[in-house]
Amino acid sequence: MATKPKALLLKFPGTNCDAETSSALQAVGFETQVLPSALLELSSLKDIQLVVFSGGFSYGDYVMSGRFAKLSTKSKIGEELKSFVDRGGYAMGICNGFQILTQLGLLPEGSLIHNTSGRFICRWTGLKKNAASPYLNELPDNFELPMAHAEGRFVGIADAAGDYVKNGRAALLYSSDVNGSTHQIAGLQDDTGRVFGLMPHPERFTIKQHHYDPDWNGAEHGWGYYMFKSVHQAIAA
Amino acid sequence: MTTTYEITNKFDVEGDAQSLLYAPPATPLRFRKTTRYLFDYEGDATALDAFVHEALVDRISQEAHQDKAPIWNGYAFILDYGMKGGALDLEKEAILSYYRTLKAPAFTLSKLLLKTRIYVFGEGADSALFVRDIVNPAIQNSEVINA
Repeated sequence: MATKPKALLLKFPGTNCDAETSSALQAVGFETQVLPSALLELSSLKDIQLVVFSGGFSYGDYVMSGRFAKLSTKSKIGEELKSFVDRGGYAMGICNGFQILTQLGLLPEGSLIHNTSGRFICRWTGLKKNAASPYLNELPDNFELPMAHAEGRFVGIADAAGDYVKNGRAALLYSSDVNGSTHQIAGLQDDTGRVFGLMPHPERFTIKQHHYDPDWNGAEHGWGYYMFKSVHQAIAA
Repeated sequence: MTTTYEITNKFDVEGDAQSLLYAPPATPLRFRKTTRYLFDYEGDATALDAFVHEALVDRISQEAHQDKAPIWNGYAFILDYGMKGGALDLEKEAILSYYRTLKAPAFTLSKLLLKTRIYVFGEGADSALFVRDIVNPAIQNSEVINA
């Protein structure tokens, strides 16, 4: 039997979606390890194919979401995460994880700030693919996922966001303006495609029964399952 | 030495002050919110500035204003509030924890205070309503600065 690809889920104080994300990754064929950030060291990424920053409120979102997770990661492993990606590794950030990846500078430059409503938004949202991505191969052009965040409005310097939409760095867009995100950006990827972050929560829609419509029959699994399946296939290929 | 940094968000606009209160104010009011960090320190001011910009300021979306008079004019009053000295301020602790990880910071931090500042704009603003609805007197103290 082929060896399963390994995913490392970093858990900061306040990360709270690691268990369900780990389950979702296992469901598509990953071997997973949840690592408390206090134990993170340079050797932690050895033999890992995918590093996942799960959702939650790392360090209470103090100062700004993702800020102390970034500082903590950099003080422990410096630029090792970037080297990991340069060596062919994959990195995924979901919600707070997306904010952390953005702060770490592993994604195109920009910030995720408070929604224009000033409120925490918890709802389902329509999404559309804007570019090819190893995380989206198994998904249709339009699908939906749950979202839950207070700081999900993507902003960039000048019209960087517009450039990201044109050049495909903005791989995923909201189908409507849900939080004020510039050009309705919901997810970004780096120029290799191996680093991907999104605000919605794929791990919260991996089985049909997660859907708000009990009769939903859009696919065999929830759409989030296919996002994790996509990256599994990209790594296993 | 003492210095204050006030952090503003470049993308923020004036909001409806009703969102801060339990009941609508008698007249329409607007507000803006900032965060203020008050430092007592010894050592290199440049190093402290670098620390602030590394840990507390997002260069894409925020701006830091050092030792500046109120950033906006035309306010009816300013409400500053923050945690009391004896109350556990987890945000401050997170900042200090990061500071303690620095190997050679070139400055010594002897005191840090965090304050939220709200500028209220409009005629007929009653600061007492804002203090009552925003500040938790059990754990926070506040100060009103009138125009």
